[in-house]
Amino acid sequence: MGGTEIISSIKKILPDFTALLVEQRHPDEIFIKVSPQIFKDTALVLHKILPSPVMMLFAVDERKLGGVFTVNAVFVHLKQAQWIIVSMDIPQEDPHFDSLAKNMHSATLFEREIWEMFGIEPKGNPDLRRMNLHDEVWPPGNFPLRKDFKEMQARGLSEFKFNKVEGVGIFEVPVGPVHAGIIGPGHFHFSVAGEPIVNLEIRLGFTHRGVEKLFEGKPCVEAIRLAECISGDNSFAYSVAFAIAAEKISGMLISEHAAYLRGIFLELERMYNHVNDIGGMATDVGFSFPAAYAALIKEAILQLNEKLTASRYLKKVNVIGGVSIDIDESKKTIIFNSLEKIKKDFEELIKILNFSVSFMDRVDATGTLIKKTAQDLGIVGLVARASGIPTDLRKYFPGVYDQAKFKMMTQEGGDVLSRLQIRFSEFTESCRLIEEFTRKLNDCRHTQVNPVFKQASALGYTEGWRGPVLCWLKTDSNGLIQRCKIVDPSTHNWQGLSYAVLGNIIPDFPLCNKSFNLSYSGNDL
Amino acid sequence: MIKITLIFLQLVFFIVIAPFLSGLITKIKNYSKMRRGQSVFQPYYNLIKLFSKGQVVSETASWIFRVTPFIVISSVLTVALLVPVFILSNPLYRMGDFLVIIFIFALGRFFLALAALDTGSSFGGMGSSREMFISSLVEPALCLVVFSLFMQFGSTNIFVFSGNHAVSVASIVGAIALFLIAIAETSRIPVDNQETHLELTMVHEAMVLEYSGRSLALIEMALYVKQMIWFFLIAQIIFPIAAPGSINSSALFFWGLWYLARILVIAVVVAFIEVLVAKMRLFRVADFLGFVFVLGAIAAICAILGV
Repeated sequence: MGGTEIISSIKKILPDFTALLVEQRHPDEIFIKVSPQIFKDTALVLHKILPSPVMMLFAVDERKLGGVFTVNAVFVHLKQAQWIIVSMDIPQEDPHFDSLAKNMHSATLFEREIWEMFGIEPKGNPDLRRMNLHDEVWPPGNFPLRKDFKEMQARGLSEFKFNKVEGVGIFEVPVGPVHAGIIGPGHFHFSVAGEPIVNLEIRLGFTHRGVEKLFEGKPCVEAIRLAECISGDNSFAYSVAFAIAAEKISGMLISEHAAYLRGIFLELERMYNHVNDIGGMATDVGFSFPAAYAALIKEAILQLNEKLTASRYLKKVNVIGGVSIDIDESKKTIIFNSLEKIKKDFEELIKILNFSVSFMDRVDATGTLIKKTAQDLGIVGLVARASGIPTDLRKYFPGVYDQAKFKMMTQEGGDVLSRLQIRFSEFTESCRLIEEFTRKLNDCRHTQVNPVFKQASALGYTEGWRGPVLCWLKTDSNGLIQRCKIVDPSTHNWQGLSYAVLGNIIPDFPLCNKSFNLSYSGNDL
Repeated sequence: MIKITLIFLQLVFFIVIAPFLSGLITKIKNYSKMRRGQSVFQPYYNLIKLFSKGQVVSETASWIFRVTPFIVISSVLTVALLVPVFILSNPLYRMGDFLVIIFIFALGRFFLALAALDTGSSFGGMGSSREMFISSLVEPALCLVVFSLFMQFGSTNIFVFSGNHAVSVASIVGAIALFLIAIAETSRIPVDNQETHLELTMVHEAMVLEYSGRSLALIEMALYVKQMIWFFLIAQIIFPIAAPGSINSSALFFWGLWYLARILVIAVVVAFIEVLVAKMRLFRVADFLGFVFVLGAIAAICAILGV
């Protein structure tokens, strides 16, 4: 479906719809510019007909160029492999727009973010509390992602107000942001009636580093190293998403060889994280033997990473236009030999867990996220697949995955067990994919070309182990980054966690949390 | 004079050996996970470290918080004096009743639960409520086991079965029930998890989260001794042993060896359960202790039938 078809199907629902501009910006990106008056309706119609949650919703400060803020909403049309970007210009005097949040839940957090970072008010959003700029640190009236923001202007500080659940026998249990384990900081505010959880409010933003601001003004070639540091357990996926965006801007096409290499490393990253989470779930229910076993497998994968790339976490591997290291015959043997052993160990691990009644009793029917809730919240990635939503960028935007006959995994349960089983089957599938890719690696060396950047924007995306990692990039005529918007799958899925735990008892929360295993740094940016 | 020495010896015996059992269990767990792990003597180092540290007491805490460690340790040590190890016949004879032991333990637990509520932290409250939930299920099952012992020996006095009695079906079933109770009482997997760092899942650990330094050392010591008392009682029922027949040194040596080995056997079993089983969902503990209750009832019926 090209741009015209999209427009005609919008017109079926909105007869007097007119777009200011419709453009096929890249082979997989349709750009639609509309006036602020019909932005909300357009977004809602797209949300309904595609159907897609809003994958990104973000503002760009273009006041220097046109005296306006631009707000973009990104939707994905999975069946046609198209990203649809709806854009509008908001005049800089009294910036505001009609909130989408009441009709489309997945827009809520993005609107709060636009409000706190740019001071553009989403009129009608019921919740405009700030997320990453904490009221205890940032006085109101500071909008750091505006281009003219220099330093924090101090006025009064206030306190964050949590949602209150009232009633006889309701207790509040605040947990965090400092936890007993070595994990990121997040504050969990439980309201409980006895042990069962009535409400959970998650407050994040403690690792806000201003990553998006850091990108601004940097050349793409340097910034890819910054992209790797956004979320440490996802560093390769981030570098791929960023590289794809930059390659689209500069009009480069990477060689098939490089695409296979990226596939191999993406799957290696998925494997070590999946087995780490499986071990983590075992730890959280006090099942120490399989936890130790999973740690061994993870270590074997990390050592394989190091042998292949000299980096356990696959950093400094990706460059714009390809991959900086190559896999020769000797490395191929290392891959096959290591995978053989890893596969055997993993099968053993699955067997131990599947045959343990005490373990299965803990994970089965715990932390259920039903399909309807997941769809309404715009849940993505692994968690969505566990709730029965068939969404995987590797299937719909396959690239080299097509040649390897990639098989998407879904489960219907939506509970911890489903998320565990998704990890089981994705791990095995990743093993197969790596072997397939390695066999297909041809000897034609990719040639390094120096990318030429121009003033343009593009969306980079890839399916990381948690879900789609998105990176929208805009460069100026010198090739310097004007704006880089990152969306981690965690941003969508943190809300899913606070719904999945409802009705579960407090001691089961760590297990539910581990089955999601979301990123703090990827969310807080 | 000899009696006082024996009483003193018995206290020293429990205090010196008890931390080793926990260290041993941790060591076995680590070996079975293909890890080297900490030394078996780590619990001693921890205690020494904690005793030489100062402590932090919350401003909102009352006197209950301060006295609780002493109540806990003294209740446990009192029980240590009531079980027959060295003092087989002594002035405490009439007091060494199983029911008394249950309720002396309950005294310590009651104060620990109060102290956890005292500081007003949310974890302490959760810990107390869970501990009370579990102990309210443990006590009826325990009473049934005691009842079965009464049917066998005609008394609930512990000194009655300190001798070399015959092992019957009733005592085996009773010992198994007692073993499962001991797991719950000493906060081990699958009821509780001593090694967890997850505050939200803790039971006993949540209650003592606010303690530090010497107070924490006393509470940990109490847990070690309590665990050893339980192991000892179970051993006494399922592997009965009489006082050494002769006083010559080699006989005493082998007697002592067997005496300790029985306790070690139980510690090894506990360690393997910790490795092989996942922790139960909190409310599943009710099913587990319900099962123990049934075991207790079976033991009592067997005892009545005389098998």
